[in-house]
Amino acid sequence: MVDELATLVPLAPEFAVIGAALLILVIDTFSREKHGAVALVVAFTGVAVAFVATLFHLAEGTDALLFHDTIVVDGFALFFNAAVLIATVLVLVSSTEYIEKFCPERRENLTEFAVLVLFAASGMLLMASSRSLVTAFIALELAALPSYALVAFAKDDKAGIEGAMKYFLLGALTSAVFLYGISLVYGATGAFDFVGIADALTGADGDVFGLAGLGVLLILVGLGFKIAAFPFHVWAPDAYTGAPTPVAAFLSSASKIAGFVLLFRLFTVAFPTQLDWLLAIQILAVATMTYGNFAAAVQSSVKRMLAYSSIGHAGYVLIALAVFTGADADSAFALGAGMSHLFIYALMNTGAFLVVALVDDYWGVGYTFEDYAGIARQAPVIGVAMAVFMFSLAGLPTGAGFLSKLAVFAGAVNSGFWWLAVLGGINSALSLYYYTRVLKWMWVEEPEGATPELEGKPVGIYAAILVAAVGTVVLLFAFDPVLSTATEAAESLLGV
Amino acid sequence: MSETALVETAAVLIPTVPLAAFAVILLGALLPKERGFGGTTSTVAAIASVAASLVLSALVFFETWTRELDFVAVQAVWVDAIGDLPDLTVGILVDPLSALMALIVSVVAFLVLVFSKYYMNDEGETGLPRYYAALALFSGSMLAFVFSSNLLMAFIFFELVGLCSYLLIGFWYDRPSAASAAKKAFLVTRFGDYFFLVGVAAVFAGFGTFAFHGDDSLFVAAQSALEADETVLGVSAQTAVTVVALLILGGVIGKSAQFPLHTWLPDAMEGPTPVSALIHAATMVAAGVYLVARTFELYALSPTALLVVAFVGGFTALFAATMALVMDDIKQVLAYSTISQYGYMMLALGAGGYTAAVFHLMNHAFFKALLFLGAGSVIIALHHKQDMWEMGGLRRRMPVTYWTFLAGSLALAGIAPFSGYWSKDEALLAAFRNAANEPLLYIPFALGMVAVVVTGFYTFRMVALTFHGEPRTDAARDASEGGISVYVPLGVLGVLAVVAGFVNAAPLGIHALADFLGASAFYEAAAAGAGYVDGFEVSYALSVAALVLAVAGSAAGFKLYVGADEPLKTRGGATTRVLEKKYYLDHFQVWLAEDVTYRFSKLLNMFDLDIVDGVVNGTSRVSLGSGDAIRRMQTGVVAHYAAIIILGTVALVFIVGLVGGWF
Repeated sequence: MVDELATLVPLAPEFAVIGAALLILVIDTFSREKHGAVALVVAFTGVAVAFVATLFHLAEGTDALLFHDTIVVDGFALFFNAAVLIATVLVLVSSTEYIEKFCPERRENLTEFAVLVLFAASGMLLMASSRSLVTAFIALELAALPSYALVAFAKDDKAGIEGAMKYFLLGALTSAVFLYGISLVYGATGAFDFVGIADALTGADGDVFGLAGLGVLLILVGLGFKIAAFPFHVWAPDAYTGAPTPVAAFLSSASKIAGFVLLFRLFTVAFPTQLDWLLAIQILAVATMTYGNFAAAVQSSVKRMLAYSSIGHAGYVLIALAVFTGADADSAFALGAGMSHLFIYALMNTGAFLVVALVDDYWGVGYTFEDYAGIARQAPVIGVAMAVFMFSLAGLPTGAGFLSKLAVFAGAVNSGFWWLAVLGGINSALSLYYYTRVLKWMWVEEPEGATPELEGKPVGIYAAILVAAVGTVVLLFAFDPVLSTATEAAESLLGV
Repeated sequence: MSETALVETAAVLIPTVPLAAFAVILLGALLPKERGFGGTTSTVAAIASVAASLVLSALVFFETWTRELDFVAVQAVWVDAIGDLPDLTVGILVDPLSALMALIVSVVAFLVLVFSKYYMNDEGETGLPRYYAALALFSGSMLAFVFSSNLLMAFIFFELVGLCSYLLIGFWYDRPSAASAAKKAFLVTRFGDYFFLVGVAAVFAGFGTFAFHGDDSLFVAAQSALEADETVLGVSAQTAVTVVALLILGGVIGKSAQFPLHTWLPDAMEGPTPVSALIHAATMVAAGVYLVARTFELYALSPTALLVVAFVGGFTALFAATMALVMDDIKQVLAYSTISQYGYMMLALGAGGYTAAVFHLMNHAFFKALLFLGAGSVIIALHHKQDMWEMGGLRRRMPVTYWTFLAGSLALAGIAPFSGYWSKDEALLAAFRNAANEPLLYIPFALGMVAVVVTGFYTFRMVALTFHGEPRTDAARDASEGGISVYVPLGVLGVLAVVAGFVNAAPLGIHALADFLGASAFYEAAAAGAGYVDGFEVSYALSVAALVLAVAGSAAGFKLYVGADEPLKTRGGATTRVLEKKYYLDHFQVWLAEDVTYRFSKLLNMFDLDIVDGVVNGTSRVSLGSGDAIRRMQTGVVAHYAAIIILGTVALVFIVGLVGGWF
């Protein structure tokens, strides 16, 4: 008994998150009044414990297989766990005040919010650890279903309902495609676990490649939806815009990261490149970053601009997989660079969305660029933080985003895909336009009418934004540990 | 081969000719009006085709009888074999059961068509080509069902029969009640057919064959699986056989209107009366019982399935008979009596009485067709009045109808020597004899015995109200009956109602039908598979008791209602009310459909209309923030988004496939 329990220790982060969620449900059931604050404390504690456990395992170099090898806890999974948990905690911290202000009628249901976030997070953690197509699918759905509910959390907000419906309908569609892909791959290989699939395909003759190849592409569609890659991104702008902004932050950061970790592990471990999926990833990478950036450039709403920018970033990260050439050091470096970019992205993207949450919804200033006029001079802390996020997202050396993006392009050049790096560079230059546009309005422009009054300084939201901003800056100077951890994790994944 | 060539050709033509007539009438309707043909040509085409079937059926029947044929006449591969599974075939199975049934079906169908000329054409109904086309299709598919050589083919034509009944019950589709009755018949029977379909699939998955006949038939496969004690479909062979038999029974309960799926049949009276006659006597409803008889060897392997059949039959026999007691509409009485009589057939089959069931199926076909056509004659005479309280004293105005109707009623009530007596007696005998080994059978047996009294009562209540006493309305005083196309069908069926019972009058020592059917083989199968008795020794005590009960019930019903001039129902108490409300079963189904299902659907609809459509139709403020170039793609319409995703997937597969050299 004790021995069996001991084998579960590597899953401590998942257990902490799920346990916190269940504890909140129990407290909520038995308490007469709704204790949103208690729920948040429990949730926060759970995530904190999970984060500590993740760092512990990362330091220990844990590499364990559980549940008949369907779950794997290795450096690769743990690295992504850390990123997911950071985004989760930022969202949780900022949500109390946001919900009380933005949808006060749902204040009573803060416990639900916390539970939904935790369940979604546990699904994302499991996506990182999935080593079998079945667990991958279940984890994906576990992450997706609470997310739909979260988007619709402000139930009287039509935009939220609309976004949630679109997200849900299209999510169901792509889940079906994903599942079909799984069945094709299973049909071709007779295996669900990643290594088993790889073994079956390595020894196989060319006949099954067509079937497996089609299955792989359909699986790519399912994951492409999750990471909002063009053209499977269509749900994202509407869902992000409609959702409560912290939820949008959560979806565009944590959920996207979880999609990427599964994509990376599945495609590098299970599917040999003879299946021609590399071309598909390259197409998606170029299309996604180009589309995301062009679309972001023409937006008039800051939140929507961020939605498209997050699509663009998915394109950059896809480069890391698009240059995959097999189990070699170059590929491992490229993957590690992509992972690092996601890690940094979790901080800066969440932070940027939280700024929007504060300005748009908490202060109620408005959602267009023009509405942001003069904000920075009234709330300089927020102005500085936003500057950090925007420049970092654009890839200027005010934050770690500069280095991580550089690493991604370097990885592409290393592997001989210099043209992808060039395209990425052009896109980055374009993105500077719309990122700086926010800052221009916030810092330079004068508001047309009266200066908007900014009521209150919500502690939670401020704290989350500051943590994200400081993290982004600090990692600029401490980027090496992130990149080296990521690269090591990628090397051990590829077995280099 | 050459010896049977004539029979083969005839057997193929029997269903084909009416189906061809259907096609011809259908094509005729497509021609431009002035060159197309109308009611008369359709009538002739349909009647002639079924007449041809009748002649051919008689030939096949005669040949089968004299030469003891039992073979698959034509076998054609329909779907080629996949793997080790056998081919799916279509074939014509000629054996005593199918030959007899084909004869019954074509006799009744022919007479019904002749009567239709009086009921429909002479009354100036419109839409005659549609009517005759559907009748031809109905007869053709029923005949094809009868000759089906395997379960899959049987299922297909079983469904086609259901479709035709939908078309015909809803013939007067501009009446809301008829349209709704047609829908009800279709949906309720379809509900049963789902089980049948699952059963069909289970048979193929479990036994790997659909065939009814030969060494690779599904019965042989089931038998050998039982003997080898194999695992079939993950369960023991015994369980598998029982489950498959019960699944098939689902379709039977729907089609033969057995409890609890009987509710469609009384409503089906909305169709023209000749159609009712055909549905009740020889086609739709008969298809269910025929299917059990056809797969009797499968049921014989499972004592549980046989018991279920017997219980369903016994209960339905009494249950439906009690409802017939309080109906005022003459066709409703006949409708409930049909349900009840098919209950007897099921009881007989469940009790191992193969001959009794087929025998009663035959007798019932004749006397029920007779009663419906008699009722049709009365209804026309009274200008479409169906309430028996508006009739009375018709025996003087309509002597032919009266005497033939009386013969049918005596047969229905089960009074010797009319046909129904002999077969009902034999059904009860089967239950009685086997109850000695299987005491549970005493329950359906007792239900069946009680139903004998009730049957006599409602039958002669109907006769008394319709034909005796004084006319209660002007219409009844001025009634008159029609010409040759009324007399011929009524006369022929009247004679059959009197004499048909003698083909197997067991108490008199006549076993012609049993010998013809080769019933002893089926008795042996039931004896081996379910521990039933091997043949039924006649019980004169039972025969006398059944006759006494029938006479007592009939006399009571006649006495109580002859000369009654106002509805007795006003004096009735709670029992009458429950009976009139048909045990509230319709209410229950309506409640289930309206209050439960409909509300739930409405909820879903609201979701669909207000939420999904709201999303789909409203390009709302979510998308308003986007720029022009992007807006063309980001329309806000979720269907467009789905299309983008799908097109994206296709494009991705196409490009990668093209470059990767997949194509």
